[in-house]
Amino acid sequence: MRGSKLLKAPLRLTGEYRRPDADTLVREVRSPYAETTTLRAGEATIERAGQSPRRFSLSRVPELAGLQNSFGALLGGDHATIEAHYRLQADGTRQRWTLTMTPKDAALASKVQAIVLNGRGSELRCIQTRAAGNGDTQRTLLAGAAQEAAKAADAAALVALCEGAPAR
Amino acid sequence: MSHDAAGERPMSATRRLALALLWLALLALLALFVAPRVQLSGDLRKFMPAPQTPAQKLLIDELGEGPGSRLLLLSLSGEAQETLAAQSQALRERLLAARVGVDVPFKLVANGADLGLDAIPPRLRPYRYLLSPTLDTQRFDSDFLRRELDARVQDLGSPAAAMIEPLLPSDPTLETLKLAQAWQPANAPQRLHGVWFDRAGREALLAIETHAAGFDPEGQQAAVDAIHAAFDAVSANTKTKLTLTGPGAFSVEIGGRTAREASLIGTIDSLVFVLLLWIAYRSWKAPLLGGLPLASAGLAGLGAVALAFDGVHGITVAFGFTLIGVVQDYPIHLFSHQRAGVSPWASARALWPTLGAGVASTCIAYATFLVSGVDGLQQLAVFTVVGLATAALATRFLLPALIDPSPRDAADSRWLARCWNALARWPRMNATAACIVAAIAAAVVAFAPGTFWQNDLARLTPVPPAALAQDARLRGELGAPDVRYVIALEARDAEHALQSSERMIAALEGLRAQGVVGGFDLAARYLPSAATQRARQAKLPGDAELRAALHDAMTGGAFNDDAFDDFVRDVAAARVASPLTTADLAGTPLAASTEGLLLQREGHATALVALSNLRDPAAVARVAQAHGAQLLDLKQASESLVAQYRERVLWALALAAVLLAAAVWFALRSPRRVLRVLAPMALTTLLILAVLRGFGVELNLFHLVSLILAAGLGLDYALFFDHAGDDRAEQLRTLHAVIVCSLTTLLVFALLATSSIPVLRAIGGTVALGVAFNFVLALLIVREPVKEIA
Repeated sequence: MRGSKLLKAPLRLTGEYRRPDADTLVREVRSPYAETTTLRAGEATIERAGQSPRRFSLSRVPELAGLQNSFGALLGGDHATIEAHYRLQADGTRQRWTLTMTPKDAALASKVQAIVLNGRGSELRCIQTRAAGNGDTQRTLLAGAAQEAAKAADAAALVALCEGAPAR
Repeated sequence: MSHDAAGERPMSATRRLALALLWLALLALLALFVAPRVQLSGDLRKFMPAPQTPAQKLLIDELGEGPGSRLLLLSLSGEAQETLAAQSQALRERLLAARVGVDVPFKLVANGADLGLDAIPPRLRPYRYLLSPTLDTQRFDSDFLRRELDARVQDLGSPAAAMIEPLLPSDPTLETLKLAQAWQPANAPQRLHGVWFDRAGREALLAIETHAAGFDPEGQQAAVDAIHAAFDAVSANTKTKLTLTGPGAFSVEIGGRTAREASLIGTIDSLVFVLLLWIAYRSWKAPLLGGLPLASAGLAGLGAVALAFDGVHGITVAFGFTLIGVVQDYPIHLFSHQRAGVSPWASARALWPTLGAGVASTCIAYATFLVSGVDGLQQLAVFTVVGLATAALATRFLLPALIDPSPRDAADSRWLARCWNALARWPRMNATAACIVAAIAAAVVAFAPGTFWQNDLARLTPVPPAALAQDARLRGELGAPDVRYVIALEARDAEHALQSSERMIAALEGLRAQGVVGGFDLAARYLPSAATQRARQAKLPGDAELRAALHDAMTGGAFNDDAFDDFVRDVAAARVASPLTTADLAGTPLAASTEGLLLQREGHATALVALSNLRDPAAVARVAQAHGAQLLDLKQASESLVAQYRERVLWALALAAVLLAAAVWFALRSPRRVLRVLAPMALTTLLILAVLRGFGVELNLFHLVSLILAAGLGLDYALFFDHAGDDRAEQLRTLHAVIVCSLTTLLVFALLATSSIPVLRAIGGTVALGVAFNFVLALLIVREPVKEIA
């Protein structure tokens, strides 16, 4: 889910993150359209059906580089890598926990205020990326939360879902 | 000079030494005066004749050596990709930061990082609609805009959102990104972590264009130094290794190697000179006094060139000092002929007709370079003529006051006498024998296999094969332009040059598709002609039309109604903007890309197409011709220039030979003596050529000029043997002088002949052979039997 002041309503996309190997992160959007993004060796490749792939450097989008580092490390359970890039702060209970990751790298910090992980037990349910400037927040709902999100009607419901409230 | 009355009285030894030191001090003062006036220039073009063909003109007047020659190729290796990428970025920033200073060594530093928005200053941003080809095939109607806006919604949902979102309000069709992409080199290497890497992903690659031409050693040295300094700063505490190749880097390395070898050889030579003179005359003062005319000659020569020309060429100085090294011989002749009971002035006077004849004829020979029409050669002529004359006059009019008036007579040396007796048993060469030797030598010269002339300038300064291989590899990885071929399109102004080259783009794309060229680059890729820009402008919709189309496209869409107001404003600005010209680009990174490819002169412009991975020059030449352009082969152009140059030198040499013979004729006035004096020199020239050709050496300009030097030496030896006549003591003194002269010269040039630098080897080998042949032939031909009238 991603908001923009250019848009009337936040975008809602569903799909899947995959990590075929340690250096690669694949983000696959299934609906409302199909799109595959591969993050690898500091470069992003975006492919859409019927278009030639677009490539750009992650250095131009530090939040993406941060995402790749942290997400890859999260999925791989690589604690050391995360700590190298972020200051960590844990809150909440085991049933409803929050892990706030504040970037250490200045370039990333200028774009990303924090990445907040919400979870329930051993389940990571939501990743919120808070942009530094305008406070726009991008939310990625995962696992159980993603399934429940299909039923969620509006943006507010999704936000609540992300932050750990049970589905209404 | 009023020395004759006062000078005949011998001075005390202390006074002589004091005077010698005074002379030295005066020379030092002169050096202080001359040094700031000598502006060394490394511009090889001064050693080239005036260009005639278009390729030669381009080579000399405009390019130096083509767009590829200013390019330095760098690779960083030995660390992890992320580290190398960060260092590549830091290196680029550091090198470009040097722009603030007065000296700007770099035109362009490319490492794969996007030109991005920074390439276009805000004032020029509306021009994206005139620079981008979108409007050539597309109208900004509601269908197009709807398709674009749908794609932008997806972009906002993609990981690229953060990059694209700031652009969207003014640029919903993303022309900015299309331009940034189009400005990337056509066949750029892969990009990892934002910068170029080789195919294996082990080396970060950079391409740096210098302001200095490839043949400007000092400019290239400054650039290479700046790169090393920046690299040292960014690679501190890492294991990163820098590889630097390209014509400039090579010329710097070879220049350094030449300077090191030449200075080592020079040091050894000085020691040898001092040692030989000390041994020969058993006096520590001999080397000091012997060196004074040489030092005076060098300074006077430099001063004269500095006065007569704008800048003194580095080659003039290096080569000139080699050529005037011969003046070491003048004091040696005086020393060897000096003996007790004869005033030094009388000795000098007695030697003068012979010495003067030799110097005058050699000066006349060098003076022929003045008519060569080549600036560098003219400088060389002035330098040598002034140098030789100064040394001769100093030996005649100053040195006698300083030398020891009663040294050991060389004629009394028992060793020399034995030597002479042995030599006296040598048969004398008669005319028949000389003719046979000459015929054999001429036959070898004419019929030896192998190329006669060496036209390839690059062979004079050979790059180690390993470095060449590295350069070829980096060039391939980076898709860097070819240093040999370039397409040139001439037009009366920049606009016409751009228009014509735009018409060629489609054909060039075709060549790339066929694999004939790996890539191409031209100014029109960055800056379309004003005509094209106007055509695009005409296709931009009017304000009301655009608003209507946009409204239509956004109805029912995801974007807010006012999201693209900036877009409407920018299109309106683009519609009335006057087309962008090269002048508008000044100060932007685009200027660097265009100015090297679009050369503008008063009333004339040349658009260049840089080519990379050229596989079929003939096919490219046909395409170029069909579009009114020309594929220039810069290597062929430089070779034809060298050939043309050689022709001039050969004419100068022929003229020199005639004048030299005339001068000797004038001095000796006896056909028989003239023939005898000239024969060793002529025969030696033939023999040197025969030996060089026999060993498969390809002859270059340095051989030719060295031949004059050898001929000058031979003339001196022959004149002195001729002067000695049939008097045994005189013959012994002359033999002594000639042995010392030829030994010092032989050692100097034999050392040069062992150099690893072909230029030094050419000079050394030619002159060393010349000294040996001249010495032997002078003995065999000129020497007269004792007490017999020849």
